[in-house]
Amino acid sequence: MRFPAFAVYLIFILSLVSASVFAQSTYTISGYVRGTGGEDLLIGATVSVPELSAGAVTDARGFYTLQLPEGSHTLQATYIGYESATRTIEITDQNLTINFALLPANSQLREVVIEANSLQQKLTANQMSVETLTTREAKLLPALFGEVDLIKTLQLKPGVQSGGEGASGLYVRGGGPDQNLVLLDDAVVYNPSHLFGFFSVFNPDAVESVELYKGGFPAQFGGRLSSVVDVKLREGNNERLGVSGGIGLIASRLTVEGPLVKDKSSFLVSGRRTYVDVFTRQINRIQDGKEDFNPIPDYYFYDLNGKANYKLGEKDELYLSGYFGRDFFTFNDADFQFGFDWGNKVGSLRWQHTFNPRFQVNTTLSGSSYQYQVSNKIDVFSFNLTSDIRDLALKTDFNLILDKGHTLQFGAMATRHAFTIGRLNFDSDDNRLSFGAGNDYTATEAAAYVADEYQVNAQLSLNYGLRLSAFNSGGKTHGALEPRASARYSLSENTSLKASYASMMQYIHLVANSGASLPTDIWYPSNDYVKPQRSQQVAAGISHLFGGGRYLVTNELYYKWMHRQIDFRDGANLFVNDDLEAEFLFGKGESYGNEVYLEKIKGRTTGWLGYTLSWSYRQFDEINEGRRFPTRYDRRHDLSLVVVHELSKRVNLTGAFVYGTGNAYSLPVARFAFQDVQGKNATVVPVYGDRNSFRLAAYHRLDLGLVLKLKPKRGEADLTFSAYNAYNRRNPYFVYFEQIKDEEDNETLGFQAKQVSLFPVIPSVTYNFKF
Amino acid sequence: MKSLRPLYTWLLPLLLLLSSCDLEQDVDVKLPPHESQLVVECYLEPGKPLRAVVLESVSYFNEPELPLVPDAEVIITHKGRAIKLPFSPVQNKETGKYYTHRKSEKLNLQPGDVVTLEVKDGKGRRVTGSTTILGQVPIEAVEWKFNEKNKAYLLTSFQDDPNAANFYRYMVHRDSLSNSSDRDFVSNDRLTNGKRVSYGSGYDYEEGDTLIISLFHLEQQYYDFLGSVSDARNANGNPFAQPSRIMSSVKGGIGIFTNLSYNRRTVVITK
Repeated sequence: MRFPAFAVYLIFILSLVSASVFAQSTYTISGYVRGTGGEDLLIGATVSVPELSAGAVTDARGFYTLQLPEGSHTLQATYIGYESATRTIEITDQNLTINFALLPANSQLREVVIEANSLQQKLTANQMSVETLTTREAKLLPALFGEVDLIKTLQLKPGVQSGGEGASGLYVRGGGPDQNLVLLDDAVVYNPSHLFGFFSVFNPDAVESVELYKGGFPAQFGGRLSSVVDVKLREGNNERLGVSGGIGLIASRLTVEGPLVKDKSSFLVSGRRTYVDVFTRQINRIQDGKEDFNPIPDYYFYDLNGKANYKLGEKDELYLSGYFGRDFFTFNDADFQFGFDWGNKVGSLRWQHTFNPRFQVNTTLSGSSYQYQVSNKIDVFSFNLTSDIRDLALKTDFNLILDKGHTLQFGAMATRHAFTIGRLNFDSDDNRLSFGAGNDYTATEAAAYVADEYQVNAQLSLNYGLRLSAFNSGGKTHGALEPRASARYSLSENTSLKASYASMMQYIHLVANSGASLPTDIWYPSNDYVKPQRSQQVAAGISHLFGGGRYLVTNELYYKWMHRQIDFRDGANLFVNDDLEAEFLFGKGESYGNEVYLEKIKGRTTGWLGYTLSWSYRQFDEINEGRRFPTRYDRRHDLSLVVVHELSKRVNLTGAFVYGTGNAYSLPVARFAFQDVQGKNATVVPVYGDRNSFRLAAYHRLDLGLVLKLKPKRGEADLTFSAYNAYNRRNPYFVYFEQIKDEEDNETLGFQAKQVSLFPVIPSVTYNFKF
Repeated sequence: MKSLRPLYTWLLPLLLLLSSCDLEQDVDVKLPPHESQLVVECYLEPGKPLRAVVLESVSYFNEPELPLVPDAEVIITHKGRAIKLPFSPVQNKETGKYYTHRKSEKLNLQPGDVVTLEVKDGKGRRVTGSTTILGQVPIEAVEWKFNEKNKAYLLTSFQDDPNAANFYRYMVHRDSLSNSSDRDFVSNDRLTNGKRVSYGSGYDYEEGDTLIISLFHLEQQYYDFLGSVSDARNANGNPFAQPSRIMSSVKGGIGIFTNLSYNRRTVVITK
């Protein structure tokens, strides 16, 4: 095997064999947790055995499995917003099926609650390096312009950085935003952001849960190096028709959900749209014709989410999910019509079949596309540039619970990719000019995996698996084995040790030459010249539960190697280039760090404190003369503190404070004068030093929020007040050097560094309703 | 099609819209010590005297003075003959262009000739460069068309040579070459190899306008240099741009040594 760390994997296998010899007899307890309030299967509910410090969380099907030794045990099922249920069971010599039906608690919060895993479950779970986000958390926290954004809330978790002020891109453990696999109900979302990444495409009203895997990746995931963002849409209420929504500073949302066929089928449709363009158009209209007035460009985005499910029978269920979103930017005047629009289309159809409670299969057919289009018409000349990626994918995932503590997961997937790269058309109305360019590619990606989650005994559990992936494009096939392994050992009732190893491959690459997430970033397939990216990550951690189970502190160390990383030549032309490959540079990267996470999810005051100490580097022969350099988002210190305090049943106060070392940044170190052939007005040309060798000032910000629950005559409503950047910190967005000139004779007087900030304090208020 | 690159700059006004006015402030940036490099700008032009500018790069926050290098020696070698250009700074009052080294001798330059440059100074710095004289690419047609508002657009056409990788610079001046150019961009033939190429304009011109149209046939090293200068300037102040290294055509310093081979037409716009 080529993988140097494969030896680690073999040691896991050997330890499994040896450990199983000494393992005591365990039996599988499994079943469903349902709600009786119309939500049906509860995802993320906890089933635990407190006396053994054992527990499990229900999966996307509301299904749990536990491995328990013989004897008498008390099972407790909990889900926030519901009454807990307790069952005492006697295990003698067989596996048991235990289902729970939870009664809704009398809490107004119930309807919007999607609760994170309990701390106990986090302690005992095999999976490490995963963050589960709740819509409830995100909705309570203050947000930029009052727009709740689950992806931005994920940035408050340790090991996850934002690309810059207000940006929703995720930089996970030193990886780039192109190295995140973003899934919406199992379909890939290629560009998960609106407006330069200031907002993510995920409408919180439609989202049920978001899980972010930073490492220790389960074998069913592959195709990106650094993270998996697994977003699940909500299912509609299957008991009654409901409407919910919100009116905010820049956007409004509306969701309709309800049953389609009683007890068989429900639906949910959710949409939102920004309306800044409504105001800017009015300003343009009023100011039209005035001297020195430049029209404000028109911008808006919208997105639509939909989900429907249908129960075919006791053992079969269908789920249909869709997303459609688009951004529009237009700028017109008498002789000039510029249009720029971009967006994703995502859809999936999942068939869930249950052979028996211990054996299930999910088969998903999904389609996904991302496309942007730039068009410009100047007088008689018209120009149109478009790029896109279109996927059609089929995958099937089996889950089989075996005896002796083994749970097998296995499956396969195949995706057909189609790429249009820089399709350009340039014409004139009189047909005197006509010109076109662009390339089309297709590729096939396939993978198969098998993994075994093995509960060796009450203290030790292992998960080991293997993923075989392959990619074909341009007559060239790449393939690799991607071993995955993780282990958890309980030192005591309250302390667990965890470790993981994951090898990941990435066969498609984002062609992006900037630090920001731009709509014009395009995806490009691996081929004979562009080899797939590869990473390996090891992580080790310790979790400790204290304060009577109210606090969990976790510390994780990680080290990640990244091979065949991609950058681009200086001056690379990435827009219209039929020989794009000639612009690629290949190098390597490494990142490492330590993440500390303290959280509290029960009581009137909840929240978390995260701190990350990390390093992230890249190295290319053609950049910095081969010396390694820090990535722009290399952040030595990153701290986030999130507090939610329930002042009363109707009032929640929230605060979020973040501190981060300033971004690494490139600045000119010198300049020279260049007069060109014309000789008029010699210009100053900056000479840049080493890549990212400067640091912007540290970033810190406090956001405050208040959620006031109202008492409408019908349904529920609240007002959410936010103050983003409450103490009005001027955080650096970028720095540039200005040439200071005498206003009278235009003589250069000197040079000054200027720092530009983006957002001052931004207060906002949002009205949310539900009936 | 380098002009397509900063598409995102169309979106910058939106960022400005999002930000309020008081979000820019002076900051102190401590720069590392900078070791000055020789900066050379020398264009050979058939029928024109030999002239060069030799300056040096300076730390960004140095005083804005012209960093002359009086002890720099400039030697141009053509067909085995080395010609030394003495230090003789002068500024052309009409064009504003200045030169530090010059000699009135004119070389008989033919396409395919290789000319070399050597610059050295008292600090032991040495810059070398080489240029191959290119032939002109003739402008085949300059056409214009009026709209109903009596404004005309301009169309300049030429034939690209399919047997070579070609690089071009297109400039349009009104009335005089001393004025700033009306249009100025560089292009290559990666997407138009062997085709008849036309460069257009907006409805920018009126009857009676005198236009000087220049089509420069560039060496790749000159094309790369111009592109990198443009990228470096754009990167200063654009948060989305990746900083660009200056791709000099000379070794041992910064700058450009090339030849200017251009075809030029002067037209008066008429109906």
